[in-house]
Amino acid sequence: MTTLLIGAFLLSLLVITAVAIVRATDLFSAVMLSGIFSLLMALNFFLLDAADVALTEAAVGAGVATVLLLAGLRLTPPTEARGRSLRVLTPAVIAAVALLMIYASFGQPSLGDPQAPAQQHVAPWYIEKTPELVDIPNIVTAVLASYRGFDTLGEVFVVLTAGIGVMFLLGGGRGKPFSRLDSNVEEGLSRHLIPKVMARLLVPFILLFALFIQFHGEYSPGGGFQAGAIFVAGIILFSLVRGERLTLAVIPPRVLLWMSAGGALLYGAVGLAGIAMGGNFLDYSVLADDPITGQHIGIIVIELGVGLTVTGVLLSIFHAFAARD
Amino acid sequence: MLLVAAIAILITMALALARALLGPSVYDRVLAVNMFGTKTVLLMAIMAFAMGRTDFLDLALAYALINFIGVLAVLWFVQESQLREQRRAATSDRGPPAGSDNE
Repeated sequence: MTTLLIGAFLLSLLVITAVAIVRATDLFSAVMLSGIFSLLMALNFFLLDAADVALTEAAVGAGVATVLLLAGLRLTPPTEARGRSLRVLTPAVIAAVALLMIYASFGQPSLGDPQAPAQQHVAPWYIEKTPELVDIPNIVTAVLASYRGFDTLGEVFVVLTAGIGVMFLLGGGRGKPFSRLDSNVEEGLSRHLIPKVMARLLVPFILLFALFIQFHGEYSPGGGFQAGAIFVAGIILFSLVRGERLTLAVIPPRVLLWMSAGGALLYGAVGLAGIAMGGNFLDYSVLADDPITGQHIGIIVIELGVGLTVTGVLLSIFHAFAARD
Repeated sequence: MLLVAAIAILITMALALARALLGPSVYDRVLAVNMFGTKTVLLMAIMAFAMGRTDFLDLALAYALINFIGVLAVLWFVQESQLREQRRAATSDRGPPAGSDNE
């Protein structure tokens, strides 16, 4: 009951924030409000017991998205352009869609209803069979990496495609390809003592925490997506404080391209290895003599692939924006 | 006890959101967002204990680590846009000599 009330309160804050984002003409305050929106969203996921999603929202929304939006904002004018507003059509369409959604919500099962289709369909089977077939405590990881491995492969390629799109559009600046991106931003915030000291203390722990999330994903909330985003957040912190130039020297654009493509290829290669060893595509049970060990190996390797791709793509997008002037 | 703390944090969040909406200056909004992030960490920790899922504390830890980056990004953004404005002023004021040094 208390959780429900807190959830309702947070959802109403969420609505207020969303309306404010839409109404803001100053892009900087819209970016700041979208940071708050993402924090509220993560809290709601958290209250609904969806820890893995909340962790993704934390890493992407609060850490990386704000930085990417600010880096993009650097290249645009600070206020929203006044578009031609369709005075009658816009409110009419919005009202119609809102009414439809409210009408549809009456047909939705109530929160936590045991008779809901989502609880009746495959979820009981996952909960019952995961200890026997995959034997890892975090069932979300088992569903994501093993039962629905095909979907996740698709997601990884979507991430890769998005990254390729951004690198095509922005490139390395002045018509250069992304792999020859460089920057003359020498110092970043390194003239300011407090951020410098804080960042120097925090970066190693953020990277260590990302590795923990990556390789502990079977036992606790987390996995490749979250770990990649947290790793990128750590590198971005380094870049903000020590300057783009040094960061590009530590992880050159060429390496980022290899990471992005290599992660997706590693994932696909695990699938092909399954075929080569006499199973189906992305069937990990045949990877080792013992099916459960095979599942563990498969999940760890494909999570590594996911982590590599997410790290490579997010960091490339950040550099593509931030290295320009 | 946890409930009282949760309510106090929720009120603080609402106040921080109000500051972020009202502004007026950049720094008000930055501080509001930072405060909102801190309260998120605290609320997550409290709810993790209230729901008996102490393993979810990982999430609060992740937020605590990452929250700082947003603030630094804003500082970097403000510094960069000031630099750019100076550069733009320097290139447009090339006609009258020493005109750009006044700022």
